[in-house]
Amino acid sequence: MIRTFLIYVTILIVGILFFGSMILFAIPAFQESTFILPKLTSSQSNSGDNNDVSKESLEKEIGKLQAKLDKLTPTDAYIIINTSDNHFYLYKGKELLREGLCSTGKNERLVSEKGENTFYTPIGVRRVLRKQPNPVWAKPDWAFIEEGLPIPPPGHSSRFESGTLGAYKLELGNGYMIHGTIYKRFMGLSVTHGCVRLGDEDLEVVYKALQVGSKVYIY
Amino acid sequence: MKNSVEDFDSLFENKKKYTGLKIFVVIFILFLLTLTGVYSYLSIGAVRERMEVAKAQSEGTISGNPLLIDLMKDKAWVESRLKMAASDSIGLSIDLGQHTIQMELKGVVVMKSKIRDYSTSGFFKRMDGNVYFAMFGTPLTIQSYVSSIEKNPFKVIQAPKTKTAEEIKAEEEAPLSTAKPATTATTTDSIPDENVFWTVKLDRDFELNIQGIDSVAESQSRYKLGKGFEFKRDIRNIINSFDHIVKFKKPTYTPEILISIPENEAKAILRALPRNASVTIRI
Repeated sequence: MIRTFLIYVTILIVGILFFGSMILFAIPAFQESTFILPKLTSSQSNSGDNNDVSKESLEKEIGKLQAKLDKLTPTDAYIIINTSDNHFYLYKGKELLREGLCSTGKNERLVSEKGENTFYTPIGVRRVLRKQPNPVWAKPDWAFIEEGLPIPPPGHSSRFESGTLGAYKLELGNGYMIHGTIYKRFMGLSVTHGCVRLGDEDLEVVYKALQVGSKVYIY
Repeated sequence: MKNSVEDFDSLFENKKKYTGLKIFVVIFILFLLTLTGVYSYLSIGAVRERMEVAKAQSEGTISGNPLLIDLMKDKAWVESRLKMAASDSIGLSIDLGQHTIQMELKGVVVMKSKIRDYSTSGFFKRMDGNVYFAMFGTPLTIQSYVSSIEKNPFKVIQAPKTKTAEEIKAEEEAPLSTAKPATTATTTDSIPDENVFWTVKLDRDFELNIQGIDSVAESQSRYKLGKGFEFKRDIRNIINSFDHIVKFKKPTYTPEILISIPENEAKAILRALPRNASVTIRI
């Protein structure tokens, strides 16, 4: 009695399993297999070599296009910043001059009664606008808001700090810079307010290699 | 003798008892077989229909000479990258033949990664030159993202209340004050095991899946077993399939390209690409 019942139940289970495996595995596999699909040939195709293009002319065109593309890579020094891994790569043409750790924006939104400040390193291509050794940091309003301090008037002595930016700074516009840091233990982490921090030695090499107008690629 | 008569009676009763079950099992199995057959037919039909659409969209009289087609693919690849370079945004270029994926900004390769493993739908393997150029001849545009990790993670923190002059003075006198600046910086000893997987829908109606892996073996096991994001995606597909089966509707078919690259690079690309980034693919 139980045996008969079990046989029916087993048939049911096998049927359900078959159905499930067909839906989940077999049919998707059929859809992706090439043997059941017809060749995807457009009606206008022909099978001869009677086209206007020849092998030589195509190769010539590709060469020209490739040269045009290669020209887009700067021949002088430029830097690539990876904000995801906090790494920098200093290049001259296709040659890698130096690579190492950096610190980039912490992707943070600071909300206060005075408004909102967003701290991130903007992705895209920029240029070095100005270079300066021994920079003095002119603290913006957010530096005081973040500390819960009253905002001093512009030009107030409390706004200026020496040493915080390291030995050099390279301005990229909109307040963003490449500079040094006193917080060396945070190197390789996303902790800045949007600037790119480098270690002392790396900063010196980058400062000397990049000129005003050099490109800075940030991703 | 009495016992055998009873056994015979009980057998007869059981036979009657399971007739209903037997009929149910037979009908149910026939129903499942019919459903499987209909669904298979509709599923294959969906692929063929997608192929018809691709055929209709392709134009031209490209030679069947494989050498010329390869050269034309090379030309289209460089042309597409030049078109991407004209934009100020980061673009993605993928060369499956060379196993490379790279991010480009104004024509400069800012990141290049080796593809560890990839697979493409059968649909792409059946294309001729004209269909290929209709699909990949010019840069594609990303239409939507779905990812296992946040694309642009932003922390929101509240600035501390502005201190009064008295509070600042008191703090200066007692430097070990408990007042803390606004900060959310935390350090952890271990890196969380993230499952990096993201999918983009491209404007020529196919999907590009990027999977972050640390080894080729991982790419094969993790994707198939389904973990986290992939598992949810598989479940969603199953529900979608059943919905179509129940309604006897033709299931949707979207060709896919699945690429496995190192996890940190998969994450970097996801974070760097703009919402409607251009993508160039060479197969």
